[in-house]
Amino acid sequence: MSLKRLTSILVKEYRHILREPRTLWMVFLSPAFVLIALSMVFTSGTSRVDLAVWDQDHSALSRRFIRTLSSDADFSTRRVSDYEEIESSLIGRSVDAGVIIPPGFGDGVKDGGTSSIQVILDGVDTLVAGQATGSLLGHAADFGAQLSRQYLVPPPPIRIKPQSAYLPRTSDRDSMVSGLIPIVFSLPVIAAALALAREREKGTLETLVATPVRGLEYIGGKLIAYVTASLVGLLPVWLTASLLFGVPFRGSPIVFLLLTVDFLLASVGLALVIGNLVRSQQAATVLSLFVFFVPAFFLSGLTDPIDTTDVLSTIFSYVMPSTHFVTICRGLFLKGASLVELWRPSLMLFGLSVGWTALGTLVFKKDIT
Amino acid sequence: MASRTLGEQAARPPEWLALVMDHLHRIFGLAVKEVQQLSRDRLLLAFLIIGPLLELLLMGSLSGGGVENLPLAVIDQDRTRASRGLIARLDRTDELRVARYGRDVEEARDWMRNGDVAAIAVVPPQYGAALADPKRTADVQVIADGSHHIVSTVALGTVEDVAAQIARDLASADPRTSKGPVDLRFVARFNAAMEDQPHAITAMLGMIVFQVALVVAAQSIAREREMGTLEQLRVTPLGRLDLMVGKALPTLAIGIVDFLMMMGVIALWFDIPMRGSLPLLTLLTVPFVLVQIGWGTLISLVSRTQQQAMLFVFALAMLEVAFSGFLVPAGNMPPVMEIISYVSSVQHYLVIVRGVALRGAGLNVLWLPGTALVALSLVLTILAWLRLRMGLDSDSLRQRLTPAWRRFRCWLKDVCHRGRGRKDVTQREWTREPVEP
Repeated sequence: MSLKRLTSILVKEYRHILREPRTLWMVFLSPAFVLIALSMVFTSGTSRVDLAVWDQDHSALSRRFIRTLSSDADFSTRRVSDYEEIESSLIGRSVDAGVIIPPGFGDGVKDGGTSSIQVILDGVDTLVAGQATGSLLGHAADFGAQLSRQYLVPPPPIRIKPQSAYLPRTSDRDSMVSGLIPIVFSLPVIAAALALAREREKGTLETLVATPVRGLEYIGGKLIAYVTASLVGLLPVWLTASLLFGVPFRGSPIVFLLLTVDFLLASVGLALVIGNLVRSQQAATVLSLFVFFVPAFFLSGLTDPIDTTDVLSTIFSYVMPSTHFVTICRGLFLKGASLVELWRPSLMLFGLSVGWTALGTLVFKKDIT
Repeated sequence: MASRTLGEQAARPPEWLALVMDHLHRIFGLAVKEVQQLSRDRLLLAFLIIGPLLELLLMGSLSGGGVENLPLAVIDQDRTRASRGLIARLDRTDELRVARYGRDVEEARDWMRNGDVAAIAVVPPQYGAALADPKRTADVQVIADGSHHIVSTVALGTVEDVAAQIARDLASADPRTSKGPVDLRFVARFNAAMEDQPHAITAMLGMIVFQVALVVAAQSIAREREMGTLEQLRVTPLGRLDLMVGKALPTLAIGIVDFLMMMGVIALWFDIPMRGSLPLLTLLTVPFVLVQIGWGTLISLVSRTQQQAMLFVFALAMLEVAFSGFLVPAGNMPPVMEIISYVSSVQHYLVIVRGVALRGAGLNVLWLPGTALVALSLVLTILAWLRLRMGLDSDSLRQRLTPAWRRFRCWLKDVCHRGRGRKDVTQREWTREPVEP
């Protein structure tokens, strides 16, 4: 291991990045750009439930129920007059649920009894269906409370008082923006995989093998070059999250910086393993997308939390660096956790950075001989 | 009569037919070259054909079960049979499992900060007594981890559901307890058991078809360009449209083959029923793949190296995922964002896939997303063709752009001079005034 040879590889890599203004722009600024674009989508959407309402009763009470629904900010209502229309709007996804008020609804309530309302949910999109169920149940309970005062019906036996720690319940944007930071950093990381594959594709690797540069120096140079280049991109990402979208940062900035370096080491290490396995840049792109794109959304705990009781899926989730960094980012930004409280993901990340880099070097050495 | 005209054509084919045959011949030649190039890289070919299947199998088996077994901390301040019944019911749900019993809220909050529990349920003292008395209401407090919005939504929803069950059981046992005047009855259409898997698997199907088609298309021209072989292609009699079509055909074939194989896995392995018609779905997949080819061609025409093309691909893929409504139900957007979101092909395609496969819809309901896909593919192809017409090497682009840039600079200078001139005059007038008196 010679420091001089390592530096010369490092200088060569920086020249590759700096030579093309467009590559430079993409490595430094693309994470922030993608974060802005993604967050714009999330900030603009509201969690409103679109309803198709079919009133078969046409009584004063059913009209009152529909009026309270339309004045509620959680719902937007549309009147329909047959079942077919509800079904086709559900299929075309123009509404989230259908509400049918049967004939005799008003009379049933007036007698002090219970009247039922039918709700047709779209069972395919379970997240939206759950949201619609919750909002409608809450709304019906409020409406029922109004009526029970009027008709002297006893109150319900259990009431749930929900409270959301760290955030008000409606602010899923903060949770999303902080969780997306690891995902947007896959952009410069994959660039490292392609940088390695390009040398092989163009044949410049053979030239390098002929020089006294050793495997560890070569991999180390690439690793340091791309980790530092991505680290520069952290500043715009951080500014975007904090200033543009107002996501609170409650942890320690130094801990965040340290753990980001750790995360980038692990990710670039994984990218270098990919770059070593393939012979062409095209194959490197395909494999990187398979590893970094779909699993990033389904396995990292960004949306569905990891089910730790399932051993196999836990293993696959834990070897991905982004899984741990999602936990770390949310912990530092929203929960104000310290390094002591984040010891588990930090340690895992450290292990992964050592493991993936070692594997990358190992695979590379084998290939040269 | 038809046979006679055919015979005449065979004897002396009209000019247009010869032209078409000529073009078809060239396109076919290019397509064969592409296939040969792909099959030379065995590993790449394996990634493109087997990779999607493996990824779908793996991802589908590992995740896609929705939110399950969230760790819950319980603080039981009542310690009666009723409170233990509530805790047992919470533990029995798919979504929650009771991981820890705490003494006070502070202790449980520390667990939540560590990530050991996702939600805390506090059963108040006198809970059992309040349940037994029809005039009183028991308040159960639930604290959910708001740093993960899906966790908090699911945890709160599950507890509310359990509370509603208990209320229903009490009402049937004791007629004095009320269900309230309004009783909502929920029916889930298309997926009565409310399983999460069909929703997740169809999202994966769309995303995998999307990524494979996009990558192959985006790297095909960028690769030739980086290697310098694109110049060789341009001096052959191959026209611009020939080049685009010849590059698109193998990608289209790969996309459709991957789609059909994955549909097989979905039906056989994951046991998700196909309610609509498979031919219709395959027909609508063609414009979806064509849109990706359009994006890919456009990307590979604006990027100079494969690395740049890959970064563009990934950025586009992220945006498509955001707009697809998979991460966060992105349904209700302000009008401007709604219009932008129409550009997202994955969003349209997921409506189509779920509509046909899970809800059994036909073209009469799905004509809107179908038309949107066809229109998108046309617009992107025209854009790519225009970019190709402008010339690919930087010199030719500069040649075209330099006169326009010079004209713009002249105009800008003109405007600036005029503006400054006027400003100078007013300034002079302004400065003169206070001097005069």
